[in-house]
Amino acid sequence: MISAAEVRTLAKLVDELNYYQLLELAPGAPASAVKQAYYAASRKLHPDANRHLAGEDRDALDRIAKRISEAYQVLRDQRRRQAYDEQVSGGSTRMPLAEADARADKQALDDYLGKTPNGRRFFGLARADLDRGDLASAARNMKMALTFEPTNEGFKKKAEEVRLALRNAPPGTVGPPPIGR
Amino acid sequence: MAELAVGIDLGTSNSCVSIARGRKVDVLPNAAGERITASVVAFHEDGAVQVGNVARANLILDPHNSIASAKRLIGRYSFSEEVKKARAICAYKILDGPGHSVRIQIRDELYSLPEISAMVLKEMKSIAEARLGQPVTKAVITVPAYFNDNQRQATKDAGKIAGLEVLRLLNEPTAAALAYGFGKGLTQKVAVYDFGGGTFDISILEIGKDVFEVLATCGDTYLGGDDFDDRVIDLLADEFVARHGTNLRSDVYALEKLKAAAEAAKRTLSVESQAEICIPDIAKDAQGNPLTVERILTSADFEQLVGDLVLRTFKVCDEALQQAGLVARDLDGVILVGGPTRLPLIRNHVKAYFQQEPRTDVDPDEVVAMGAAIHAAALVGDVVTEEAAGGGAFLLDVTSLSLRIGVAGGLAESVIERNTPVPIEQSRSFTTTQDNQERVQIRVYQGESRRAEENELLGQFDFSGFKRAPRGQVRIDVTFEINADGILSVQAKDQETGKVASTTLTFSSGLSGGELDSILEANRTGRVQTEVAADAEIEAALPPAPKAAPKPAPFAARATPPPAKAAPPAPKQAAAPARAPTAAPKPAATPRPAPAAAPAPAAAAKPAVAAKPAAPPMPRPAAPAAPKPVAAPAPVAAATAPEDVDVVEDGSSDLMDLEDLGLDLETTQPSAVSAEPAEALPVEGDELDLVSDLDALAEASAVEESDLEGIEIDANGDPSQPTELMTGAESLFDHGADLSRYHRDDE
Repeated sequence: MISAAEVRTLAKLVDELNYYQLLELAPGAPASAVKQAYYAASRKLHPDANRHLAGEDRDALDRIAKRISEAYQVLRDQRRRQAYDEQVSGGSTRMPLAEADARADKQALDDYLGKTPNGRRFFGLARADLDRGDLASAARNMKMALTFEPTNEGFKKKAEEVRLALRNAPPGTVGPPPIGR
Repeated sequence: MAELAVGIDLGTSNSCVSIARGRKVDVLPNAAGERITASVVAFHEDGAVQVGNVARANLILDPHNSIASAKRLIGRYSFSEEVKKARAICAYKILDGPGHSVRIQIRDELYSLPEISAMVLKEMKSIAEARLGQPVTKAVITVPAYFNDNQRQATKDAGKIAGLEVLRLLNEPTAAALAYGFGKGLTQKVAVYDFGGGTFDISILEIGKDVFEVLATCGDTYLGGDDFDDRVIDLLADEFVARHGTNLRSDVYALEKLKAAAEAAKRTLSVESQAEICIPDIAKDAQGNPLTVERILTSADFEQLVGDLVLRTFKVCDEALQQAGLVARDLDGVILVGGPTRLPLIRNHVKAYFQQEPRTDVDPDEVVAMGAAIHAAALVGDVVTEEAAGGGAFLLDVTSLSLRIGVAGGLAESVIERNTPVPIEQSRSFTTTQDNQERVQIRVYQGESRRAEENELLGQFDFSGFKRAPRGQVRIDVTFEINADGILSVQAKDQETGKVASTTLTFSSGLSGGELDSILEANRTGRVQTEVAADAEIEAALPPAPKAAPKPAPFAARATPPPAKAAPPAPKQAAAPARAPTAAPKPAATPRPAPAAAPAPAAAAKPAVAAKPAAPPMPRPAAPAAPKPVAAPAPVAAATAPEDVDVVEDGSSDLMDLEDLGLDLETTQPSAVSAEPAEALPVEGDELDLVSDLDALAEASAVEESDLEGIEIDANGDPSQPTELMTGAESLFDHGADLSRYHRDDE
C-alpha cells in the first residue's frame, strides 16, 4: 500500500530513477536480490494492492508499476543487465527491452564475428580453412585471431574446438586437401 | 453486506462457480447438487434454453440444436482450423458472420459465440444467486493462459451479455496456483499442468509467501480431452465400417451417441483398467435389424490411441521450463488441473516427466474456480480474505503471447515479448517505406512467428498527419501498453510533429460494438432456464425431442460408474414420460433448494425478456420463434417454478447494469483512428519499416565487407542498396541467421 501523496512524488521521479534505484537495489546486488526487490516493490506498488487509488493517482501508479516490470525484466537477465549497466554509467536511466536484447545480441555477435578488423580477418580465414578441412591452418589462424582479441569468448571456444579436432584427427589428414580431389 | 464477487471457471466441457468469503472458499453446486455443470447449451423448440447436464443429454436427442464445447470456437476467425474442424463434425450449422466471425444457426436464428458462452455464464450466475440468496453481478472469469486477446475479448463480451461485470480475466493455471498456495505462506516453485476439455496450458510459478509470480506460461489451444474422445470415436466408427459396412459418421445422431460413449469410456478409464462400450440400436442393417456397437476398451488400447497427444504436451512443458530457466527437478510441486488429468495415463506420464508425484490435494475440476473466487474477493476488497492469505496475494502475471507490429515484407516485429511481466509499456520506432507517404497502417499481431500471417491479427488502425518526407525520414514511435487489467492499448506518435494517435484496440471478438449493443438489447440469454427444482423433478425436464425422444437410453455404460463428481452424461430414461406441455408454470408451491436464508432472486428468466424486438444489425432471416409470449408453455418450465415478477425485474436489472458497463466497451478513438476487424489479412500497401532506435547500435556492429573476404557472408546483397527491410538492425539479424547456418556446417 502506498499513499496518494507518495504516488504523486514517485511518479514525478520515475524517469530520473535508474532501475536499481527504482527497485531499491545496490548496483552490484546478486541476482537473487533482484527478485526479492521486485516482490517488495510489488507488495507496495502493485495496482491490485492499491485499490484505494483512483483517477490520476491510479494512472500515476500504473506508470510506476509498468516501469517496475521493465526494470525487473532487464535486471533479472544477466545479458540484459550487463548491457544496462554499461548504459546507466552514462547517465541514461531507461533501456527498452528490445534495445536491451539487441545490445545483448550485439555482444553475442561480436563474440562470434570479432570486434577488431584483424580479429575478424583471421577468424574468417580460420573458418574458411575448416571448410576445406585444413585443420592445421585453421589452428594457426585461430591463434592469430586470439592475439588480437584475447577476451573473445566465441574465439576461445572455437580455438578449443579446433585444437581438439586437430589432436583427434588421424595423421596425414590435417593439412590442405590434395588438388583435384 | 459486503459486495459478493464470484469466480467462474468457464470450461470447454464443464463450468464451475465458487465464492471466497473470509477464510472459506466454497464451490457452489447447482440445483442437482453437482459441483460442476456441463458447458452445453440446448435450444428447445419453444424458445427455452437449457444449460448443464440436462442440455448434455439433449446432445444425443437433438444434436442440431445443442451446442457443446463452444469455447473451442470463441474468438476465432471463421477461416481458422478449429472452425473448419467443427464444421465437419458438428451437427449444427456454422456460418460466417461479419469480419470473418463465426455464427451458429439454431433453427432460424443466428447466434454469436459470445452469446452462447454467455448462456453458460448466465447459468453459473443463476446457480450462484440461488445458493447465495442474493444477486451476483461481479465475477472473475478464467481463460486458458494461451488464449489470445481476441478470445479474451470474446469471453469478456460473454460476461457482459450474461449480466456480469467482469472484474478480471484470470489465466486458468494462475488461478489454480492461487487456490493451491492461498494462505499457506509457501515458498515454492510449482508447475501447473492444465489439460482441459479443449486446451492445454502449462505455467511455471514461483510462490513467495503472498506473491504469485508467473515465470513462464506456454500452451496449445488446439489440444484437449475432446481430442481423446475424437480418437475413440474414430476407432469405433472405423471398426463399425469394417464389420457392418455402415458409416456411422454420416448419421449425426449416431455420431452424438458415439461421442457420449467415448467420453463415458474416458471417464471410466480414469478409475478402471477397462471400459465396456455398448451402444445398442445405433444403426440398422440392410434387412432392418438393429446393429450394436460393442467393445471393450482397455487402458492399453487407449494409450495406443492417444499416447501421442499426451506426449505433445511435454514439448510444451519443455518450452515453458526453458523460458523459466528451470529444469524439472527445480520444482517443488506439480498441480494437475482439468478432468482428463484424472487418467492414470496422464498421471504416469506427468510423474515421469517431472520426476515427482503430482499433488493430489487439489481437485482438478474445481481448483480453477476456487482461485478465481479468491482473486474476485481480493478485487472487491474482501479484507478478511486478504488477511487469510497473509495480507493479500499479488498475482504477478505475464503476457503469454508476444505482441507484434506488421512491417514491410509480410513480417511482424515484436514489441512486447511473451512472458514479459504485466503491467508493461514498450515502444519501438518505425519509418515509412515510400517517399511522401501520408499514412501508415498499424497492424497489431499476437503470436510467436516473425511472419505476420502466422500470427493472430488483433486489430489495425490508420495513422496519418505525420510529416511528409522522403522514405525512411519519418520516425514513428509505436507504444504498446498492457495495464494491470490486461487491457492492451496502442499508441502511434510522430517524433517530430508530436502528432499522436492512440487506441484501445477493439479486438475481433466476433462482435462489433453495435452488435454487442443489440445483443444486450435482445437479451436472448434471458431465455436460459436454470433449474431450481428438486432433483427428482429434473428427470421430467427432458424435452420431447423431435425424433429420438421415445427411444430407450441410447447407450449404457455397463462398467463401474464414473466418480460421483463427474456424473456420466447418460441421458436418464425419462422416469415420467415427457410431460405434455402444461399451460402455466406452477405457482410458489414448487420446492426450491435455497440454502441461504434470504429468498433466492429470480434464478429462472423466461422468454418474456427476449420478446423485445431484435435490433437491425443482427442478420436474422426471420424470427417466428423468437418473440414468445410470457406464458410460453415450455415443458421445462413446469420444473422451474419461476415467478413472473422476479423474472421481469431480473431481466431489466441486467440491462441496467449492462448500460453502465457499456462505457467500457467504447473505444477511445481520437482523431483519425479507427480500429476495425480484419478484412484484409495480407500485408500490403503502406507499411511500416523497422528502423532507427537501434540504428546506432546496428552501425556499430555493421560488418565491413573487407573483414569478411573469404567468408561468404554478404550473399544477402549489396548493403549500399538495401531492400526495404535492410535497415541496420534488420541486417544485423539477417547476418546472424546466415552465419549460424554457416556455423552449423562447420561442425
